[in-house]
Amino acid sequence: MTNRELEIAVLVREHAEARFTPGFAERVIDRVHRERATSLTAALQRQFVRIVPLAAAASIALAAYNVWSSRRAGTGAIDAMLNLPQVTLAAAYSPAALFGQGGNVETP
Amino acid sequence: MADTPHSDAELIARARAGDDRAFAMLVERHEGAVAAAAIAMLGRGDDAEDVGQETFIRFHRALAEFRGESSLKTYLVHIAMNLSLNALRRRRRSLLRFVSRDQTPIEHVEPRPGPDRAADTAELEHVVRSAVARLGEKHRAVVVLRLLHDCSTRETATILGVPEGTVLSRLSRALRELEAELSPYMLGGSIAEVAG
Repeated sequence: MTNRELEIAVLVREHAEARFTPGFAERVIDRVHRERATSLTAALQRQFVRIVPLAAAASIALAAYNVWSSRRAGTGAIDAMLNLPQVTLAAAYSPAALFGQGGNVETP
Repeated sequence: MADTPHSDAELIARARAGDDRAFAMLVERHEGAVAAAAIAMLGRGDDAEDVGQETFIRFHRALAEFRGESSLKTYLVHIAMNLSLNALRRRRRSLLRFVSRDQTPIEHVEPRPGPDRAADTAELEHVVRSAVARLGEKHRAVVVLRLLHDCSTRETATILGVPEGTVLSRLSRALRELEAELSPYMLGGSIAEVAG
């Protein structure tokens, strides 16, 4: 560079505007905090999006299995899908319902 | 605690560990370099502020990967220049959309002060900034990196993604243009006088 060019370089360097408006660092830190909060939400959303198809597929498979396994029992479609047991008064007051599966009542 | 100056590496390590105060110190330390690049490229205003903030946000995101192969200042100036050039491209596209072809968009319409006026600091500042702002953006980018940030020709070429020969030719032309604008303020003035 010639002396004249160096002089131009010094002029440019000395007179450049080298500050943002006051409080710049605070504004950047505020954005960092906002970004941190947003990135947590985004991470949860990403996990949710990943899990939803798996959960939906598992639910459909389970419902299909329930329908298939109770196809001869004569239950309704919804009851079959959800594998709901048939509830009658007699069944509700049966010893098995009252005392559990092994609830054989000893009779004297 | 005594107010000891911390190195960039030390502050980066603390910022990585989640110390926001350390990161704020890095921002304060390098704000000047980033501001000089963004304001010289885009002029003072929201665009330059956005570029400044985005530069530090990107650095914060990349804290874990930052290896310190280049100095932090060079790294930040690199990001700021890329973001500034993108902002200029966006600005040009929006101008092309809204300004008819027979109107030439002029970014900085400022009267050029005559050479007979006293060149006090504020006026000289105005003249120098206007002269830099009047350069074409490619030439301005070279001036910002080579003259403002003292980057080498190779660093400038890398940051701008152009050959070194292009950097040299753009710098030469930019210097000619700046000399034409600033010569009234340089007559008889030595570097020391101007700098002082």
